[in-house]
Amino acid sequence: MESAKKIFCDVTKCIACRTCEIACAVEHSTTKDLFLAMLERPRPKRRTFVHFIGRGISHSIACQHCDEPPCVEACMSSCISKNDETGTVDIDRSRCVGCWMCIMSCPFGIISRDLDDKNKAVKCDLCPERECPACVDACPTNTLSYETRDTFSKRIKDKDKGYGKK
Amino acid sequence: MAKNNIYAIIGNSAAGLSAIESIRKVDKSGKIINISKEPHRPYSRCLLSYYLAGQYPKEILWIRPEDYYSKYNVEPLLGITVTDVDIKNKALSTSAKKKVTFDKLLIATGASAKSVDIPGADKKGVFVLRTIEDVDGMLKMLSRVKTACVLGGGLIGMRAAYALKKRGVKVHTIVKSAHIFSQMLDIEAADIMRQHLETNGIEIATGVEAKEIIGGDSVTSVVLDDGNRLECELIIIGKGVSANCDIIKNKIKTSGGILVDDKLETEKKGIYAAGDVAEAYDILEEKSGMNQIWPIAIRQGKIAGLNMTGKETRYEGSYGMNSLDFFNLAVMSFGTVKPKGVKHEELIAIDTNRRLYRKIVLKGNRIVGGVLINDVARHGILLHLALQKIDVSDIKDILVDEYFDFGKVMPLIRRQHKKFVRPEYEDAGLTYNPEISSVKFQDGHFEI
Repeated sequence: MESAKKIFCDVTKCIACRTCEIACAVEHSTTKDLFLAMLERPRPKRRTFVHFIGRGISHSIACQHCDEPPCVEACMSSCISKNDETGTVDIDRSRCVGCWMCIMSCPFGIISRDLDDKNKAVKCDLCPERECPACVDACPTNTLSYETRDTFSKRIKDKDKGYGKK
Repeated sequence: MAKNNIYAIIGNSAAGLSAIESIRKVDKSGKIINISKEPHRPYSRCLLSYYLAGQYPKEILWIRPEDYYSKYNVEPLLGITVTDVDIKNKALSTSAKKKVTFDKLLIATGASAKSVDIPGADKKGVFVLRTIEDVDGMLKMLSRVKTACVLGGGLIGMRAAYALKKRGVKVHTIVKSAHIFSQMLDIEAADIMRQHLETNGIEIATGVEAKEIIGGDSVTSVVLDDGNRLECELIIIGKGVSANCDIIKNKIKTSGGILVDDKLETEKKGIYAAGDVAEAYDILEEKSGMNQIWPIAIRQGKIAGLNMTGKETRYEGSYGMNSLDFFNLAVMSFGTVKPKGVKHEELIAIDTNRRLYRKIVLKGNRIVGGVLINDVARHGILLHLALQKIDVSDIKDILVDEYFDFGKVMPLIRRQHKKFVRPEYEDAGLTYNPEISSVKFQDGHFEI
């Protein structure tokens, strides 16, 4: 499971342009086209969020596909499960009843209520139809990457020992 | 392993299933026997109100595939009650006259709905909401029901009321306390929820109690202690639950439930308890307590299972939390919501027009509880800050702010990284350095 790929964010590169949010919503639309997606009802939803950490510092965060996901333990309809092979945390929409137990227990606050579409929980699915998630492909500053925990931390630590200096 | 372990698990709901799955991850060959008094394959009790509401078909209840028991190599004994536990000889007597011996036992017998002790409570048309049979019974008579009374203004009572309303039944809710959700919410939040429920057509009477249920064979009305009488054909009792510890009560230490230590083991070696029947240490209340909720049952079952296989694992402790959604208004709460001590501090943001309510209870510099209405996305963030006992004094001003999100927690991860135990926190915080900003503000404009 250590080797499962997920989305990582290099906080020092994020400029809060929110391109990731748009790319995410478009990817999860029916038309997959920015201009047509804007007209779709129910409105396509983003699954990744740009947050400000402090002045001039932001990050983009989506489902962390936790090693031990609290949402899976909390889900009373067994619609969220951890895939041991791929490492992803998946939602089976047909079983979701909108009890929001997952939202209640997510340490990152990145599961949303999709009220337009029959009260279902939505979160990052790592774009199963794509090789690399849409947000990562769209990020103009290479803030986001799709890789394993090991390669990410190694890359970051090698790049600048401790990341403390400019 | 020289000899295969025999694991007996009583109960096949959240805690029991979770234990089976965690045992099988470690011990592939041990024998697992799962005894349940309910004759059904595993189902989720929490979904019963959704089934009652008609929002989802009965199939939604089955939370495990049909071949579950064979897949996990478990011997199921369904529809069978355990009548006695022989602790010394490690054996169970069952209603099937079959003796079951074990090496390790998990008691995950859950809880039963409390009834009311008033005349007429045994009439046809009086139900609790706890099993499939309860709901099937209600559905069978639903076509004849115009009005229903729900006794109890807690979680189960209100869920039942909401479900019946969805079926087009007129619903009266009779609540003994002065406020609805008196266990789960503070007064302000309860008032917002009450107004919302009443606007949507659920009648609520507080401060009154049912005194007598009237009718021949079947219910025709209920008399309240304020003298009023409500005509109804169906009554649902939602007065909470009590732990099913009868089979072991005089053999093992119990309080509200079976007392367990931080390995979910009871005072008797080799006998464990998990889920609604167990009473464990509450991390937020800082004392032993009952937290009869699904996520806790899953967690306890999992840890108990690991300990039963011999893989020693510490249970962090339990906590209370709940999530509800009525007519698209979500409400959540955790931990202490109505603090009694002077040591507590409350942060509150309220906007009645938008039906927004955020309250956080602090003790010292730690979060110990909270209530959120409508704006619920941050609930998990706050909950985990509370569980990990994070000092939140640096972000206290913004905790109930509209713009609070996970980004605001990042400085705390940096400063108190030892307390943030999940590896995912490290993933998120690895590149964060408050001194490095990607956007610089210079001479009146931003520069990237």
